[in-house]
Amino acid sequence: MTRAVVAVVAALALVALTGWLFGHSPVDLLSILLGGSLDETILKAIPLLLTGLTIAIAFRAGVWNIGGEGQFIAGALAAFAAARFGLVAALIASVVAGAAWASIASLLRWWRNAPEVLTTILLNFIAINLLGWCVNGPLQEASARYPQTDAVSVALPQLGEVHAGVVLAVAAAIAMWWLLYHTSEGLRLRATGFNPSAAKFAGVHVEAQVFRAMAISGGCAGLAGGIELLGVTHRLFERFAAGYGYSGIAVALLAQLHPLGTVVSAFFFGALATGAGELQRSANISATVATLIQAVVIFTMILFGRRARA
Amino acid sequence: MILLAITAATPLLLAVLGETIVQRSGIINLGIEAMMLTAAMTAVLAAQGSHSAAIGFLGGIAGAAIAGALFGLFAIELHADQIVTGVAANLLALGVTGFVYREMEQSAVFVRAVPRLQVDVIVPFAWIVAPIALALLLWRTMFGLRLRACGENPEAVERVRRHRWIALGIESALTGIAGAHLALMLSSGFAENMVAGRGFIALSIVIFGRWKFKGAILGTALFGIAAAAQYALQAMNRGIEFHLLLALPYVATLLILCGIAGRVRSPESLGKRA
Repeated sequence: MTRAVVAVVAALALVALTGWLFGHSPVDLLSILLGGSLDETILKAIPLLLTGLTIAIAFRAGVWNIGGEGQFIAGALAAFAAARFGLVAALIASVVAGAAWASIASLLRWWRNAPEVLTTILLNFIAINLLGWCVNGPLQEASARYPQTDAVSVALPQLGEVHAGVVLAVAAAIAMWWLLYHTSEGLRLRATGFNPSAAKFAGVHVEAQVFRAMAISGGCAGLAGGIELLGVTHRLFERFAAGYGYSGIAVALLAQLHPLGTVVSAFFFGALATGAGELQRSANISATVATLIQAVVIFTMILFGRRARA
Repeated sequence: MILLAITAATPLLLAVLGETIVQRSGIINLGIEAMMLTAAMTAVLAAQGSHSAAIGFLGGIAGAAIAGALFGLFAIELHADQIVTGVAANLLALGVTGFVYREMEQSAVFVRAVPRLQVDVIVPFAWIVAPIALALLLWRTMFGLRLRACGENPEAVERVRRHRWIALGIESALTGIAGAHLALMLSSGFAENMVAGRGFIALSIVIFGRWKFKGAILGTALFGIAAAAQYALQAMNRGIEFHLLLALPYVATLLILCGIAGRVRSPESLGKRA
């Protein structure tokens, strides 16, 4: 907890300092960065929470799922395809597709010993180009003017200014917390990540455990993609994923890989993303400061947590 | 066309050579992307400041060295997880270069044409000189033997960290030249996220080449020719299938990783926390 606060303060201080060096007022910069609207913050926090869970579950099981981005896209594509069968079908399809896309990596690991760090990254690029092909080709809008799809026929219900995805995302966080700390599946999963040889000795089928963890992890990312489509964008387009998969790493590490902590951490990064967009509009400061802060947060978390397990 | 392919794949090869050395010393550096991106920016800044492409290349090396030093500080000195450190380094480089570029976008540095080398000496350096020199260093010297031992069985070597820092230094020099070549010779300046995944492809080619320099050259050449063929096809095509073609190199790398190239044996202690 202390580490997380230190990491956040350090990152904000560094950004204020950098902005000051380039002639921006640090006070204005921070007030814009942290003063984004609550509704937009929540909208941004929803996908971040789910991709944060993606990373938290995978890292807890000791697998390197860097493929949140690709699983996010796979989930959105499946949700788009299944939307004609209704909202529930679309959401289920997104979870299944995310899990399936992640399972390619765990299959290759099991079958060919291919390191999942690399295969998940490559699957990101494949998914991005597959999406590019879809929105320029078979799924392009009927008027064929822009590289995007038509709007989906179903949408998540609105709850005031935000959509019902917020309930699903928080429910997913609680479910993951329950899974990790209150079920034997979660105990085996954590044991596998903590010490695979000891887990094996204690009778855990490590390879199957990794496979299931990867599928759960990918399912979260897929759901994030589905919710983003059905709640926010309603269409698919080339830059749909917008880095949510990679941001999830910062979200999960700030939460120290705890599913409930991820809720708080996602809210923080959601606020940052909102503020960074506002900075770019009103002060012409690059919105990549949000990426910068994610990086500094990860480094600070490593710095103060190197004796604890990441 | 082959020559064009070879030229276009030159930064990739330099990154592959650097990563091969580093992985031989037992470290997996996912931050190549960060090193090349930082180098691309510092190379442009240095070249514009001095009106000299040669100084630009030195600036690129300095930029990559800064990114490399940050990675080394965490991964070697603080024993942090190498994969998380690499990802964080990439995010940092993306954030910093994006920020600086936006701040200075309108200034002459990023608008004026960049100075270029008259003759592209980097291509023969990358494809002939560097691989021979590195192969001799790794396989024919006492230092090379110790370096490889750091990757196989670090307990057997004195001063493991020093060897790993030197390997990282070599990688910084090579990725620095790679980033500078990308910005000054292959493009006309800096663009946001211009490395565009080359670092990750380099990582895969290292494995494809089975941590050997001959394999590195062969893998990069194959990849470069495939990429060039894809552009040629793209030019002939109506344009829709272009995105599927763009995915091909990644599918190919994925297949390579699955052992099309036969059994893969990595250095024994690769990626383990010291």
